[in-house]
Amino acid sequence: MQWILARRRVAVTAGLVVVAVVVTALTASSVRDGVALGVALAVAITGVATLTIAGLREAHPVLARAALTVVVLDASLFATYFFSSITNFNLAIGAAMSIVLLGLSFLTGASGQISLGNSAFMGVGALAVAIWANHHASTPIVVTLLIAVVSGALVGLLLGLPATRLRGPYLAGMTLAFAVAFTAIVNSFSSWTGGDAGLQLPTAVTPPNWLSSLFNAQTSLLTVNTMWLADITIVVTGVAFFFMANLFASRTGRAMRLIRDNDVAAELVGVSLPRTRVIAFMVSSAYAALGGALWTLINNSVSPPTYSLALSITILSLVVIGGIGTIPGALIGGLIYAYSTNVISWFTAHTGINPQGNLASQLPGIIFGGLLILTMLFAPMGIVGAVRRLWAKRRVRSAT
Amino acid sequence: MDAFLTSRIISDILAGLTNGVIYGLVALSLVLVWRSTRILNFAQGAMPMFAAYVGMVVFAHELGYWPLVGISILAGFTVGGVTERVLVRHLYGKPEINPIVVMVGFLIVLEGVAAAIWSTTPRGIPNPFSPIDWQLGGKPVSLSPFSVYEIVTGLVVMTLIAVLFRFTKLGLQLRASALAPEVSRLLGVRVGRMLTLGWILSTGVGTICTVLVASNFFTGLTPQVMDGIFAFGFIAAAVGGLDSPVGAIVAGVSIGIILQFVGDYVNSNAIILTALIILIVSLMVRPNGLFTKSSARRV
Amino acid sequence: MIAVEELSVSYGAVQALRGVSFRAETGMITAVLGANGAGKTTLLRTISGLKEPVKGTITLDEHSLVRERPENIARLGVGHVPEGRGVISEFTVEENLRLGAMMAKVNLSDGLNEQYERFPVLGERRKQHAAKLSGGERQMLAMARALIAQPTVLLLDEPSLGLAPLVTAQLMHAIRDLCASKSLTVILVEQNATTALRISDYAVILYLGRVVANDAAANIVADEDLREHYLGKVE
Repeated sequence: MQWILARRRVAVTAGLVVVAVVVTALTASSVRDGVALGVALAVAITGVATLTIAGLREAHPVLARAALTVVVLDASLFATYFFSSITNFNLAIGAAMSIVLLGLSFLTGASGQISLGNSAFMGVGALAVAIWANHHASTPIVVTLLIAVVSGALVGLLLGLPATRLRGPYLAGMTLAFAVAFTAIVNSFSSWTGGDAGLQLPTAVTPPNWLSSLFNAQTSLLTVNTMWLADITIVVTGVAFFFMANLFASRTGRAMRLIRDNDVAAELVGVSLPRTRVIAFMVSSAYAALGGALWTLINNSVSPPTYSLALSITILSLVVIGGIGTIPGALIGGLIYAYSTNVISWFTAHTGINPQGNLASQLPGIIFGGLLILTMLFAPMGIVGAVRRLWAKRRVRSAT
Repeated sequence: MDAFLTSRIISDILAGLTNGVIYGLVALSLVLVWRSTRILNFAQGAMPMFAAYVGMVVFAHELGYWPLVGISILAGFTVGGVTERVLVRHLYGKPEINPIVVMVGFLIVLEGVAAAIWSTTPRGIPNPFSPIDWQLGGKPVSLSPFSVYEIVTGLVVMTLIAVLFRFTKLGLQLRASALAPEVSRLLGVRVGRMLTLGWILSTGVGTICTVLVASNFFTGLTPQVMDGIFAFGFIAAAVGGLDSPVGAIVAGVSIGIILQFVGDYVNSNAIILTALIILIVSLMVRPNGLFTKSSARRV
Repeated sequence: MIAVEELSVSYGAVQALRGVSFRAETGMITAVLGANGAGKTTLLRTISGLKEPVKGTITLDEHSLVRERPENIARLGVGHVPEGRGVISEFTVEENLRLGAMMAKVNLSDGLNEQYERFPVLGERRKQHAAKLSGGERQMLAMARALIAQPTVLLLDEPSLGLAPLVTAQLMHAIRDLCASKSLTVILVEQNATTALRISDYAVILYLGRVVANDAAANIVADEDLREHYLGKVE
């Protein structure tokens, strides 16, 4: 029996690897990208499969998560070496977005609250990095990112104070008001924030010299920089996901799920509602700020109007489509975001919609909104939920 | 007397009242839906916006202002009713984030579709009311024929809604369905229809409000015309209490006046910031709104 | 007359009623007795359409009530006074009554006057919010609200719950009179078997969703075994 299970797992893994390679070969913008992504995915999937098969997950969950993170990180970093700079750029943007998604996913999935202000929290982190860098240009990246995280958490705390006493709709409305107010707030402090025009970083984020010299022989500086940025983003994303996976499984995570399912019962067993809610909200804000900070590094500048209500709604859509409260869901959402522009322009090109017309410019909103409604009505747990349900059904069938 | 009427304070109060009536109407439309179906409708700005486009733009060349207003309101009723029947009906009894998410999705779909059909260029809506302030002794009073039209319409709509709910059989059934749906059904009230009617009324109120906003010479109709106003309307509804129509209107008007003073004496960027602070403080002091008596909560 | 045949109702995996059959005759009071969780409230909720049965039939005269909406069943003349009375406390006494009179064929003020005559205390407090009423007054209001619609069937769910014995006695007396004077079909769900049996013509005893006895009230009172097993002590 054990043997059959093992064989099935190997078969499934092999199948996934093949599918991943084929899909990447079809979608990647160049052959080299396709090969690199294919190899990376193959390594990642094999790694995941091997790690779960060993029963490590049950015995040492934290260790298993760490190993998993390292495997996926290694594979991704390896792949960035081969990617074109466009792919690396998309990947970096998507990875940073997946951090934001994870934050909201945690807030919504674990505590049942919803925030429409995450674009503004991203903006807080994005501006914090730029403002800091303009005053202290030589700060190490890690410190800069930490500053962004802390400022996101602090603003989150400020807004979260009344939120602790509120149930869903009020919080959603209040965070919506925050998202709408964000540009005006930025403009009120325009001597610091640069107003609508935003800020430039004084110096671009560059890799250390030894790395540049290692690559300069073969590639242009631009490519190395984009690759370096993608690598930084991927490592930060890995750390963020690792931390969140542990938080999901921790006592706090359990307390939050209890609140989501039944807040009265949660209070009866001694969970502090206000504290747990405010922590969830702060974590979500800090993650959004981290994502925004990475965007500033990647773009080398920050433009506050980017962080509009529309972005918040996009964030919400991606979380819902990926699967609320799931870790893979946030990754899927980030990937969708990274490639959504490409997919939508492909769609316009193949349906004969005038690319300069009104419809084409509105298509992203209409598609995301439509998917948001359809997902919520027909598959409220998103892609991950749907896959898990299919998986569970198969298991039940094979068990009987 | 003239000097008094044209003074800065009175000007601010009058201009604030005009805005406040608009916020009050949005807040009222939110309360109507919240009371009957316990859904905070994030598309409460977008649905009337769409109806206003249908009414005010499609037949703009054939008809005069008043017939267009009539068509808009009918379109608003239709949008509200159809949305409830097709979309919202599946959301009753689901976790409270589901309707929020769906209505947010509906918001961007409607805005996207409207922009795709009618573009994002503002549409001016010619109307019989001059937007130019009256003069007294050579100085402007902050009141124009158009703002009087806005204020009077707002007050009439609020009164009609109050009369409907207080004094008619239909209003009694609407209130009963909202408070105790099961008991109402046992007494023969067709609760399903009442919920639809709640959405129809709410979108109707929202449409009148949007038509007023769009008729304003200085704004015009755009797909996102209601986004900011929705935020203020929500703040008013939350401050007044989502369960209290009177609270929504009072809070809407007060917030309109307060923000006018802030905009005049501080600067325009401080307006929304102040609104946000009002919201946060009032939610900390009275989480269920200043005008809600009981804080009964479902367990 | 209401006829229930082979009625089964379940909540998910839990079967609340298993093949229940009985008849409630016109002009008679049929008591439905049994312990907590026997399925009494479920039975009433199924008759008035709030709960859909898995199988079985319910007929009122010649109308089938199964899978009919509660509001339509109410319009057929079934008045249901739910457990906990279902008085809308945000409404005044008069608003509650006006809501009840919504589909009555009679003139509103005649209807109101008739109820105020029957329950004078409601007339005195007509402008007050129902939240201010005592338990007994709420029960009267709930009854009056059902009666103002001129029902032919009255479903009463635990009317004596939380009432003082004297008030309960008065209430039971009123039910008895009403049933006789208006030739109503009354189904009276009670945990308090003693009180219910005193005014009932027939009684059905439910135990874990099954009918264990269905007989004239007098016979049930006489059957000591039954009383001991299912009803506790009945004096």
